[in-house]
Amino acid sequence: MAATSQLIPAAPSALAARGRFGSAFLRNRVGMAGAVMIVIAAIVAVTAPFVAPYDPYERVTVTIDDIYQAPSAAHPLGTDDGGGDVLSKLIYGARVSLVVGFVAAFISLIVGGTIGLLAGYFGGRLGALLMRFTDFFLVIPDLALLIVIVAVLRDRSLFNLILVIGLLGWTTTARLVRSQVLSLRERKFVTRARAIGAGDPYIIRHHILPLALPLMLANTVLVISLAILAESTLAFIGLGDPTVISWGQMLNFAFGRGAVSANAWWALLPPGLAIVWVVLGTTLLGTAMEEALNPRLRRHHLETEERPGGSRASLLPGFAAAAAGADAPVLSVRDLTIEFDSPAGPLRAVDGVSFDLRRGETLGLVGESGCGKTTTALGLLRLLPPGGHVVGGSVLYDGRDLMTMESDELRAVRWSGLSIVFQGAMNALNPVRNVGDQISEAILLHQPEISRRDAARRTRALLARVGITASRAGEYPHTFSGGMRQRAMIALALACNPDVVIADEPTTALDVMIQAQILELLASLSREFGMGTILVTHDLGVVAQVCSRVVVMYGGRVAEQGDVRTIFAEPSHPYTQALLGAFPNVGDADRALRAIPGSPPRLDALPTGCRFTPRCPYAFERCPAEIPELYVVDGDHRAACFLLAPAAGIGSGTPTNGGRGSDA
Amino acid sequence: MAPSGGGYVLRKVGWALVTVLVVITFNFLLFRVLPGDPAKAGGKDPRLNPATAAALTERFGLDKQVFLDLDGGNPLDTQYFAYLGALARGDLGESYVFRDRNVVDLLGEALVNTLWLVLPSQAMSIVLGVMLGLVAAWKRRTGVDVAALAFSLFMWSLPTFFLGIILLFVGANWFDLPTSGRVTIGGVAGAWWDNLWDIGRHLLLPTLTLTLVLLGEYMLIMRSSVLEVFSEDYILTARAKGLSTYRIIRDHALRNAMLPLVTLIALNLAFTVSGAIQVEAVFSWPGLGSLTVDAVDQRDYPVLQGAFLLIAVAVVLANLLADLVYGWLDPRVAGA
Repeated sequence: MAATSQLIPAAPSALAARGRFGSAFLRNRVGMAGAVMIVIAAIVAVTAPFVAPYDPYERVTVTIDDIYQAPSAAHPLGTDDGGGDVLSKLIYGARVSLVVGFVAAFISLIVGGTIGLLAGYFGGRLGALLMRFTDFFLVIPDLALLIVIVAVLRDRSLFNLILVIGLLGWTTTARLVRSQVLSLRERKFVTRARAIGAGDPYIIRHHILPLALPLMLANTVLVISLAILAESTLAFIGLGDPTVISWGQMLNFAFGRGAVSANAWWALLPPGLAIVWVVLGTTLLGTAMEEALNPRLRRHHLETEERPGGSRASLLPGFAAAAAGADAPVLSVRDLTIEFDSPAGPLRAVDGVSFDLRRGETLGLVGESGCGKTTTALGLLRLLPPGGHVVGGSVLYDGRDLMTMESDELRAVRWSGLSIVFQGAMNALNPVRNVGDQISEAILLHQPEISRRDAARRTRALLARVGITASRAGEYPHTFSGGMRQRAMIALALACNPDVVIADEPTTALDVMIQAQILELLASLSREFGMGTILVTHDLGVVAQVCSRVVVMYGGRVAEQGDVRTIFAEPSHPYTQALLGAFPNVGDADRALRAIPGSPPRLDALPTGCRFTPRCPYAFERCPAEIPELYVVDGDHRAACFLLAPAAGIGSGTPTNGGRGSDA
Repeated sequence: MAPSGGGYVLRKVGWALVTVLVVITFNFLLFRVLPGDPAKAGGKDPRLNPATAAALTERFGLDKQVFLDLDGGNPLDTQYFAYLGALARGDLGESYVFRDRNVVDLLGEALVNTLWLVLPSQAMSIVLGVMLGLVAAWKRRTGVDVAALAFSLFMWSLPTFFLGIILLFVGANWFDLPTSGRVTIGGVAGAWWDNLWDIGRHLLLPTLTLTLVLLGEYMLIMRSSVLEVFSEDYILTARAKGLSTYRIIRDHALRNAMLPLVTLIALNLAFTVSGAIQVEAVFSWPGLGSLTVDAVDQRDYPVLQGAFLLIAVAVVLANLLADLVYGWLDPRVAGA
């Protein structure tokens, strides 16, 4: 059964993975293209005397007939207003552009880097002053400033121009370096280095600079393009160094001396396109470098939703019968399988997870970080992050499979049927809309027959129910404390009287007192409203406090499930035993805590067979060879361990009997 | 709703005033202390007769100290305070080139022309840029996004003056559009709408150039701003609530994405000014940019100094406006 559901959807998801990987590769290729463009320009600049057909600096006498000659064999790109060879000037112009670009950007890097480093590292008054200084230059229009300064210069030599352009181009670098350094300064290795007495220069040289340097360099590549643009603009306006041939100057002369009316496109297009060539090259390279170094833009919660196709609901014969009973589960998860795209192919984060949830019950979904709990929770509502796909299984709610629903049908079920309390409500509420408004929005969306006023009344009642004064409904999330935000989030989750609330580590970021309050609140609301609650957590204390049933996950699979008392009293799976062993027990203070050796498997290196094998004290030859099914231990209590297999014979039940204290 | 909103406004206004003062001082220093000292150069300019030169010395107080007079006498009787005093009276001096024209009048005329060019371009490019940036971010990594990105990168790499030249070349040689100035020289015979039509034809190419250049920039800004918002947790909440993509964008993403955009548009004013200067230079549009460039050519320092001051102060004030709008849009800022 599991095998078929794996096979059918695997192909399209692998294809999608290849597509996404392709776009990452494309971006690298874009950066490569930029690098190649710059290298070509550099080669032309260096070899100018050998490749140029004429020496453009040589004085020659010309007649009126030599002016604006169309391209010919003698002059592949024609001649300009002075009868000069356009191609030769173009080739020599590369030298000016590149020298200006690189040297000016280097000056900017030194100046901006130093200012940013000082402002970020030392902070305080000096930092504030330096940033004010930077802000000032950021506001002043750079071209106007350039023109004014250059106009005042006595000597418009290329050297002076480079100096001015370089000295004016440092602002973006300074800002970037400062924010980099600010975040680095508080990192552990820096505070540690400071604690052991390392001096500031040492810390900057050994800890800050090496980490800030890559982004600084990417930024510098972009500053090169700015410097090249600045030089050509100045030259075009007539403020360049008159003694050197540059592309901007070629355009200035041609444009100012009748190339347009002479229809001499060859005197205008080549120098302009040459500027585009080097600026585009540096921009592509710099952007690609920045994007590769800046992980900020990876997440995207609005990518087009996909519906996992296939007809898997019908795969389960016993399913409909189970759903029909009097004590029918409100949510039935069967064989849920979720994969993430990666350059190396799809990674299976959740593999064949099944469980039922009943009304009024709180189900704990537990396991270490990286065991697929949150992915399962998000997968239930098809809210996976980009690159994540449900590739198999079904989630039956109200007789319908959420996984195969049309998206408008799914939207209707979201929040009115199943709602979520997200991990860390710090950012789960929109900062620019007030809290009450965000709750009424959900009510009005799903119950359009309710008036605005009634929705507002209900919102206030909900807030009051979670212990927030109704008068604060009009306030913005930033005025709420962390605990209040989390409670507001719970009020939001209850807004539409859902049948199921999924709470994903709802108390992780909160202190212990608040944590207890929130959990109590969730549990009592769950009983009061007759909802089913799925509580995702790694905290067994929380599970013991509020859950009635437990699903233990390991490596994306269900390791064990059963009611909470049984699981705590008679854990059957070695992983559950280990988890409990690592958890302090107030009633049994003499027992030594034992950390579980090793860590949960990485998705790209999942062990074969039972995924706990490498860390399991009882592993034997069958474990790495086969995937254990969920064996019935007793009634509802099941565990995926070969030690419980009826056919295993030897040692059957050993871990169960050993209980949590199995020292064998 | 914003309890300490007054403090925020006060802080921003204070900072803008400080910046303006720094700009004024910088402007003063640049033209007085740097090697190309314009007042002195003006005094030696062969175009001026000795009487005018003496008047200049008198006017700028060239025989006085620069900042503070510490040799007894009135410590404020210096070149710097003379300059501030003149500024306060709205006196920016007289043009060396256009005799009898005072700089304030010249700047006023030029500013009006520049606004004719900049405002429509700015408005069109912001509207189009916001729309394209939004679509590009939403349809990230699709053909639409790649095309929009490629367009922006190309526009970014294209020097504004070069784009102007290309459009001018095409417009003049193929579409018979006017390529320089604001009106046809000698005027157009006919009713007022003929004159308006004439101005419109003159405006077309410069406006198109500036719009295209700014459009690429705004699109990129909007795209990354929207992408950042899309990665926020509250968008996931909105999706989980069952809102449609359209409503998520309208009610949750757009306002949040517009926030940084307001600041970025203001910061980008420097870019707008730089574009306008180039466009005016190419199309001989009689605005501030042309005035600046011509003043450099003719060493008309009072005009150059005044133009730079006007541009810088205008940008500082526009930034202030953006800051105030931001404080009004984002409840977190005013309280902070």
